[in-house]
Amino acid sequence: MNDHIVKAYDNELKDLRSIVSRMGGLAEEQLVAAMKALKELDADGAWHVRSSDRALDQLELEAERAAIVVFARRAPVADDLREVVAALKMTGIIERIGDYAKNIAKRTLAVHEAAPVVMPLLLEQMADEARRMIQDVMDAYVHRDADSAMEVWERDEALDNLHNAAYRQILARMMENPNQIGALTHFLMIAKNLERIGDQATNIAEQVYYTITGIMLEDARRPKRDFTSTELVEE
Amino acid sequence: MLDMSTKVDPMTEIRTPKMAAKDVNVFYGDNHAVKGISLDLYRDEVTALIGPSGCGKSTFLRCLNRMNDTVATCRVEGNITLDGDDIYDPKIDVVQLRARVGMVFQKPNPFPKSIYDNIAYGPRIHGLARERADLDEIVATSLEKAGLWNEVKDRLDSPGTALSGGQQQRLCIARAIAVNPEVILMDEPCSALDPIATAKVEALIDELKGRYAIIIVTHSMQQAARISQKTAFFHMGDLVEHGDTTQIFTAPKEERTRDYITGRFG
Repeated sequence: MNDHIVKAYDNELKDLRSIVSRMGGLAEEQLVAAMKALKELDADGAWHVRSSDRALDQLELEAERAAIVVFARRAPVADDLREVVAALKMTGIIERIGDYAKNIAKRTLAVHEAAPVVMPLLLEQMADEARRMIQDVMDAYVHRDADSAMEVWERDEALDNLHNAAYRQILARMMENPNQIGALTHFLMIAKNLERIGDQATNIAEQVYYTITGIMLEDARRPKRDFTSTELVEE
Repeated sequence: MLDMSTKVDPMTEIRTPKMAAKDVNVFYGDNHAVKGISLDLYRDEVTALIGPSGCGKSTFLRCLNRMNDTVATCRVEGNITLDGDDIYDPKIDVVQLRARVGMVFQKPNPFPKSIYDNIAYGPRIHGLARERADLDEIVATSLEKAGLWNEVKDRLDSPGTALSGGQQQRLCIARAIAVNPEVILMDEPCSALDPIATAKVEALIDELKGRYAIIIVTHSMQQAARISQKTAFFHMGDLVEHGDTTQIFTAPKEERTRDYITGRFG
């Protein structure tokens, strides 16, 4: 795309984009760190994730201020308007992903205090898949690649399938080990958090796609496979 | 007179344009200023013509009521209709045409006459009023429609040129309205006005759009976004893109449109 005649306008948009990218990277790191702490039942690691979430909150505020300045000074239209609106929404979504990672860390601390319980392997697979979705959608954002954004948008099914499996697996373990129900409930919620992170990655994909193409993807059309909220799973 | 020309036909759901330009070319001597432009203009709608200086938007606007006739070197080709009738037909009375297709210019240009006579001039020469009372009525309603009545009703005998710039521009709009036009052409009507006067003219345009087809040339992108329903982007004599204003300003289809409205090098 050609540069703006007013160079300061380009710089303002570049700054905004850079905040969004940094947030994406940070959210990804938080997720990885939270899962590592969970797997190793590392309380220090979990505490670190909890306190690091503030950085994401700070960046979100910074992005909001930068976006408001662009609205006030430049009255953006067309591609610029879509860019700023999408950045505002994306930072809100990424901040939410950070909250899920923080929540995983909190639950890790709770599990740590109770008797140590081995993390279900499927959670690790889920976290890997969720992390890849974040990474790929942020790459699509940086490279303005609408096709890759669309690909992430359609990919959420895999994570939903993993979630269904993890849900069943954890439920089965609950039945086998009623004394671990407290800890296992946390794992159930963690699985849900990971599934939600995937949903948020698809929300980011919608914003990226809109920024680039001007077309709004309808969430209703997105393939979904998560049945755990609508079905009763019994052995 | 009941004007059915732009009502939606329930059988076809197709609106008939108030004015239609088909493959219009304009030359100033050897300079090809407007290149094969086709554009439909509707009542109940404000169409904004935007584009850089020299893009042909004002030239095109002036074709719509044959203002270019007065330019000796100017040649207009193609077809422009008003309610389906060719306005370049030799049988057309140009004075009558300009009453039906009124015009408001960049700089307010009231006649050096009283406020009353500024409005009454058109209706008089077009024989729209038989008695003084009819004329009073036309003057009052025209000024009311232009949102100026309350500001000038006690000084109708003062010269029009004594009003503020914004009031003068609304006086010119009232003058255009006084002869019952069907189309109003505006050539950068706010570029000489301050923001308050601009807002008043824009509010007026919004109110008038239900009764007239309004075509406005503007250099202010934000003004086009604020007041028009349709936007046409001109560039070097071409009509690059024409569509719903919201579409043009959120997701233009053409790169040249995007570069222009976002202020990019193009």
